[in-house]
Amino acid sequence: MVTAAHVREALAAVKDPEIPTCSITDLGIVHDVRVTAERIEIDLLPTFAGCPALDVIKRDVEQAARDLAPEIEVRFVNAPPWTIDRLNDDANDALKAYGISPPLLQIGRAHNVTCPYCGSDQTVEESAFGPTPCRTVRYCNSCRNPFEGFKTKR
Amino acid sequence: MSDPRASLLFALADDELILGHRLSEWTGWVPYIEEDLALSSIAQDEIAHARMLLDILSVIDGRDPDALALGRAPGEYRNAILCEQPNTDFAFTLACHWLYDHADNVRLRALQESSFKELREAVAVMLLEERYHLEHADAWFRRLADGPVDARHRFGEALANAIGMAEALFEPLDDESVLVSEGILPTGTEEWHDEWMARIGGMLDEVGFDQVLTSQGEPETGEMVPTSTGEIESTEQIARRVPSSGAGGRRGEHSEHFEPLWLEMTALYRAHPGARW
Repeated sequence: MVTAAHVREALAAVKDPEIPTCSITDLGIVHDVRVTAERIEIDLLPTFAGCPALDVIKRDVEQAARDLAPEIEVRFVNAPPWTIDRLNDDANDALKAYGISPPLLQIGRAHNVTCPYCGSDQTVEESAFGPTPCRTVRYCNSCRNPFEGFKTKR
Repeated sequence: MSDPRASLLFALADDELILGHRLSEWTGWVPYIEEDLALSSIAQDEIAHARMLLDILSVIDGRDPDALALGRAPGEYRNAILCEQPNTDFAFTLACHWLYDHADNVRLRALQESSFKELREAVAVMLLEERYHLEHADAWFRRLADGPVDARHRFGEALANAIGMAEALFEPLDDESVLVSEGILPTGTEEWHDEWMARIGGMLDEVGFDQVLTSQGEPETGEMVPTSTGEIESTEQIARRVPSSGAGGRRGEHSEHFEPLWLEMTALYRAHPGARW
């Protein structure tokens, strides 16, 4: 008998298409999983409403759960709103591994986001708008590299 | 009789959709790359928010969200005409952006308390994302207001040109009294207007841009007149302040700039009905 835990385990293999080191379960995108004998329903939370990867994530989730039930329904829901509090420690490591500084756990983005390359906290935000809605563009004054930060959406 | 919630959702969604479309025209043309990315990202967010609202409306209205976004006649759009204004120059875009985002913030904060659950949930998401738009708008406001003479002058002029149209973001909605009595609107558009005016008025004052507000038509007289019940009250309480320019959007009356935008925005949808992408 397939349980919600089995489904979540299968979904842990699905990566965010724009952060390929990071699983969607670590990012906290998987909200609710409901399993019945013939059907699995999965509720996902967009990190940002305008995330262009939503369709790809939905397709990958359907694919990953396909063998677990004859019928799979995957949908994005608005509640609860996704925030950075849904990230787990693995997500923080995976973001760093991809060169994206994980979000600070407090509001106030001006200081001490650390550089993913040299670890310095002498970094500044160049722009709140990066290559995807969830990322910012920052600059490290120590190693003089531009890098990306994860938005502190909360 | 149509569902009163539809007039609210059309107003909110169309503001975001049309503004998002207009802002997307800046992609590739903004003075520098970071700002190009910023305006493009904001456009993307606004269109995504329109989609969230149209998804909710779709359940009430029966039409699918694409048909609601792209399949309506020009006169059926309910956006304030501020949102459809051509970009002309960068200062004007930033002035509209600042005026709009403060207005949007005032109404979204009010709608957090709405009795309409699906809307309340969408608003919670929107507020988390609109925060970045507001910070962006305020950063430009300070930068241009403190800027070199030409920047300050052009920005001040753009604000004065846009303010009347921005006030019309608070034009009364169809069935507003029903929306208020049902708690769908916790507060009415007039209260939103006043809160917004107090907020932007304070900021304009701080940077010495107070002429932006005084340039708007005649001030209210506050004259005392008798009402039908024989009581005396000030006209301020009777006559809703009517924006001196820019009203009509909430009734589907648009400026001459709307139709060219609509023709472009809906071209693919009209050429290939039912196309998926």
